[in-house]
Amino acid sequence: MSNHDIKNEEKFMGQNAWFSLFMGVTLLIISVYPLLTQTSAPLLFFGTAAFLGSFCMFVIRGGFTWKMKYHLTYKDEYLNTIDTIAYKHVVLGLLFSMGGVYLFSDDLALEVSHTMMASFYLAVMCLIYGVSILWQSKD
Amino acid sequence: MQNNIAKFRKEAGLSQQELADAISVSRKTISTVETNRFTPSVIIALKIAANFNVPVESLFILDEAD
Repeated sequence: MSNHDIKNEEKFMGQNAWFSLFMGVTLLIISVYPLLTQTSAPLLFFGTAAFLGSFCMFVIRGGFTWKMKYHLTYKDEYLNTIDTIAYKHVVLGLLFSMGGVYLFSDDLALEVSHTMMASFYLAVMCLIYGVSILWQSKD
Repeated sequence: MQNNIAKFRKEAGLSQQELADAISVSRKTISTVETNRFTPSVIIALKIAANFNVPVESLFILDEAD
């Protein structure tokens, strides 16, 4: 594997982590905001626009094109290891958040839609993945 | 497991990035191996040893707990 590939992978992982964080925050706002205001339409539009905007920004500024292949594993040993650990953190975080919802959500059951819950779980997964990668990447 | 990679690297006058480029791994791999946060595979260990032209046993030292 060439050094160019390694540097590309490092760059891709960094972009991926920040993108996950941004997407996680966006999804978290989308899932929680309607509970507070009893309406979701304006924020859903804003959230979708913010998500697409951030995605385009990361793709363009990161120098990645649509032709870039996506691999399920990183070739670099350390990057692959922290990626795998991050997925384990995601599963653990998802289990705890689902457990929390199972225990404490009875009061919200009538106000929360399936869409909001799905957005909340996706937000948790994205946030944990991003934080885990950044935390493990520190020197 | 302890290792002497940082010592050999500094003696050779290499930065972490230069060593990483020489054996085709990321700089974070070198950084985390040196600080004992990541145990490398045999392949990476052999590549580092070959880069410094020393036996791999001189780079890595097993602890009693290992």
